[in-house]
Amino acid sequence: MMQFLVSGVAIGSIYGLIGMALAITFYVTRIINFAEGQLMMVTAMVTAELFASGWPTWAAAGVGLACSCIIGLLSYLIAVRPILAANRLGFGWLVSTLGFAVIVENAAAYIWGPTSQAFPPMLRDVSLHVFDAVLTGQQLLAIVTAAVLTLGFELVRRNTLFGKLGMATATDPEMASAIGINTTLVALVAFAVSALFAGIAGLLIGPSTFANPYLGHTFGTYGFIAMMIGGGTEKPISAMFGGLLLGICAEGANAMINSQASDWFPFAVLAVILLISPKGLFNAGALLRPGRILRRSGENTRSAG
Amino acid sequence: MSLERSLAPGETPMSSSTSGRPVRMRLQVWGILLGVAAYVAATAAVAEADLGVQSLVLVAAVFGILAISLDLVAGMLGLYSLGQGGFFAIGAYLTTIVVNQLDWNVFALLPIVLAVSGAAGMAVGAISLRVSGLYFAITTFIFTLVLTVLATDLQITGGLQGLLGPAFPAFPAGFEPLGTPIVWCVMLALFLCTALVWNIRQSPLYPVLLSIRDAEHFAEAAGVRTSLAKVAVFGLSAMMAGGAGWLFSFLGVVSPGQFDWAVSLNILVMVLIGGINTTLGPVIGAAFVSMFPSVVNINPWLQEMIYGALSILAVTMFPEGIVGIVKRRFAGRRKASRQADPREEDAFVATAQNGADAAIFAPSVQREGWQADAAPGPIVECRGIEFNYGTGLRVLRGVDLAVQRGHIHGLIGPNGSGKSTLANVIAGRLQPLAGAVVVKGERVDGLPPSYRAKLGMRRTFQAAELVRELSTSENVLVGLFDRVPRIAERAAIWPLLPSAQRDGAWMRHRARKTLGMVGASAWADSSIGDVPHGIEQLTQLASVCVAGPDIIILDEPATGLSAGEVDHLARILSHLKTQGVTMIIIEHQTRFLFPLCDRVTVLNAGEVILTGSADEVRAHPVVRQVYLGE
Repeated sequence: MMQFLVSGVAIGSIYGLIGMALAITFYVTRIINFAEGQLMMVTAMVTAELFASGWPTWAAAGVGLACSCIIGLLSYLIAVRPILAANRLGFGWLVSTLGFAVIVENAAAYIWGPTSQAFPPMLRDVSLHVFDAVLTGQQLLAIVTAAVLTLGFELVRRNTLFGKLGMATATDPEMASAIGINTTLVALVAFAVSALFAGIAGLLIGPSTFANPYLGHTFGTYGFIAMMIGGGTEKPISAMFGGLLLGICAEGANAMINSQASDWFPFAVLAVILLISPKGLFNAGALLRPGRILRRSGENTRSAG
Repeated sequence: MSLERSLAPGETPMSSSTSGRPVRMRLQVWGILLGVAAYVAATAAVAEADLGVQSLVLVAAVFGILAISLDLVAGMLGLYSLGQGGFFAIGAYLTTIVVNQLDWNVFALLPIVLAVSGAAGMAVGAISLRVSGLYFAITTFIFTLVLTVLATDLQITGGLQGLLGPAFPAFPAGFEPLGTPIVWCVMLALFLCTALVWNIRQSPLYPVLLSIRDAEHFAEAAGVRTSLAKVAVFGLSAMMAGGAGWLFSFLGVVSPGQFDWAVSLNILVMVLIGGINTTLGPVIGAAFVSMFPSVVNINPWLQEMIYGALSILAVTMFPEGIVGIVKRRFAGRRKASRQADPREEDAFVATAQNGADAAIFAPSVQREGWQADAAPGPIVECRGIEFNYGTGLRVLRGVDLAVQRGHIHGLIGPNGSGKSTLANVIAGRLQPLAGAVVVKGERVDGLPPSYRAKLGMRRTFQAAELVRELSTSENVLVGLFDRVPRIAERAAIWPLLPSAQRDGAWMRHRARKTLGMVGASAWADSSIGDVPHGIEQLTQLASVCVAGPDIIILDEPATGLSAGEVDHLARILSHLKTQGVTMIIIEHQTRFLFPLCDRVTVLNAGEVILTGSADEVRAHPVVRQVYLGE
């Protein structure tokens, strides 16, 4: 019981990181970057390659993250910006970001071949006992990193000027640019940050899955589910909660039903949740917001009358 | 309601058509016949070709059907469904499993496959239509995801390996020279699907569907039950995708990888590359995308990369797709020749001032066929209406309003006093928290706007809600939706029905005549995106008048009009009054409103201050204070 909870939280925090990566770009540009999973894969592949050619782990990881940030920025410039410039509410991005994902994935398969590469181990010798469950050092690292990143992101979003610029751009890009916000810069930063989140997820999962060009497909899908369950489309932090729930569901299904159950159980959960609440579970804040705005405008009316 | 009867004497639809039209129509018919002959010849050639070519063409044709099914909802209704792969899977798996295990006849199974996938489509549609836009795409996406996962994990579907599909029955004796039967079957299905959407595009249902896509409130106010229409069209689309699955099961192995969400997205790529909301675009896109790997035969990874790059290029550089580009080429040439005749901004004022247009006015407004209206007393009545948005301040507080038959009833008040809210409550777009709305003696609060339309009530919107890509006359056509019986039912075979031809001609004629009546006939063929604001307002008015309603709600009709245009509008409205039309007009320009009105109601902060004649209102001290600013 305890074991699947802790390992669920561990894998869930990785799903949550990818979900947040998706949610951060969605938050600012209102599009889903289908290449997010592939950005995670890029970090994993580059890190593995550099590690194999003798680089120290931290340097390899740093360059890996930088690579996925660069490709994340490229995905915005090539696949997103031209589309939003033409029609901000259209759906062309469904195709272009998927096209970008296809390019990245197949480029990786072309360069490195379709097989898995060795990945540098992290904190192999550490482990922690929680009641009767065992948490490996790697799992612990995943949980701590995810918690720090999530909290950090939320603090920056709420308390810094840049976070507020992001919120303004998210709410109304036209208004935001009318009051002098450089919305392109905000979007670029959002894409870089989201690529960073995805890349870190890649570093955290790499030691257990190894580096594989098709890693992005699987984890991209899980990250997407995490975002949808949580309701990250309205609030990026919800995606992390969605990821944790997804991880616990998957591990729980494996432990309680059978070893194959994690293949389908999370999808069933997702379908049920979306039936009940199409915009995700952790979205109470978003539900209250319109009311608050209306009340304020109502007061204005009263004073005007 | 018989159309012949409601057609006024001397209003024969064909009389307006020029002699050039039948010639063009005959040319069109010949063109179609030629196209069909070429198509049959091509099919015959493929049916005799070797297996490699056949499977290439057949897969492309099946995806063509899928792309058509997606374009039906995405192009015409703006619902970007990623569930097509799921319906496709339902069709393919159902056929394979039932034929393999129960040994059914495949043709007997087809109606069942269509019914099951159609029902699945309607269910998914009904669930996911609670949300719109992106969330609709995501909900349908998850439907496909769940089905793929089920297909992978269930015993009966054969897991990841999948199942071998059934064999397609051979031709009966005597037909063997035709070649492979499945080729004929697939190509016939593709032809039928293409013909179906072409027929819908020719029918008056097409502008109605586009109005549901772009201007849902406008469609509802015209009497269209928009949710029903969406679910029905989505069901039809799912049925097509299920039929494509039935065909696909004869082409070889049926396995989960062929239906996953990437396939659904690929279908969208096909539609976008070929040209969204066009008849042939989806088929061209499907042929391009599905034949691409066989034509460009290089390293598979490089090939995929080129495909990715091409799809990005297609949506960024050519968002209208292949057909869109070709169309614009031709349209550009036509427009260049048309621009020769100069039009002035307010040319419509001049046209409407000559008496001929006004004379048309009278017979074209008929109010027969509306629900019986025997109840005495006010034609529209509000009693104790209470309303608020969300948890906010009460926007309407105990509003009572009685509008007498044949009156023009003005509604004035400062910004935020609840005028538009009250109009929306009367028109059914908003439901009151308490109180009753009575139209023609019938209580209608709680009923949708489309029901008001049936009672003969129409409305205009403060910001005109129209379909920008359609012409003004096509927009006006939407207003006739509930005046012609069974448009939706007949749409699938519209051009083939003599009765439909007749009704279509009558509708077009009447739409043009009504545009002439409001003085916008010079703009009948311009698309709404190209006309000035005043014409947009007049088109809105025409789309309301075309149905001959007896109650019209006008929400700030004079906003943004020039002085000349306002005078023109006033003339139209007083003319409508002589026809016995009751009007509720919300307006700020009292100089325009007061001379027209029989009664004026003043609202302030959600309450009725006063109802009286224009002079009484003008003289009332409180009104002078809160509204006229003294």
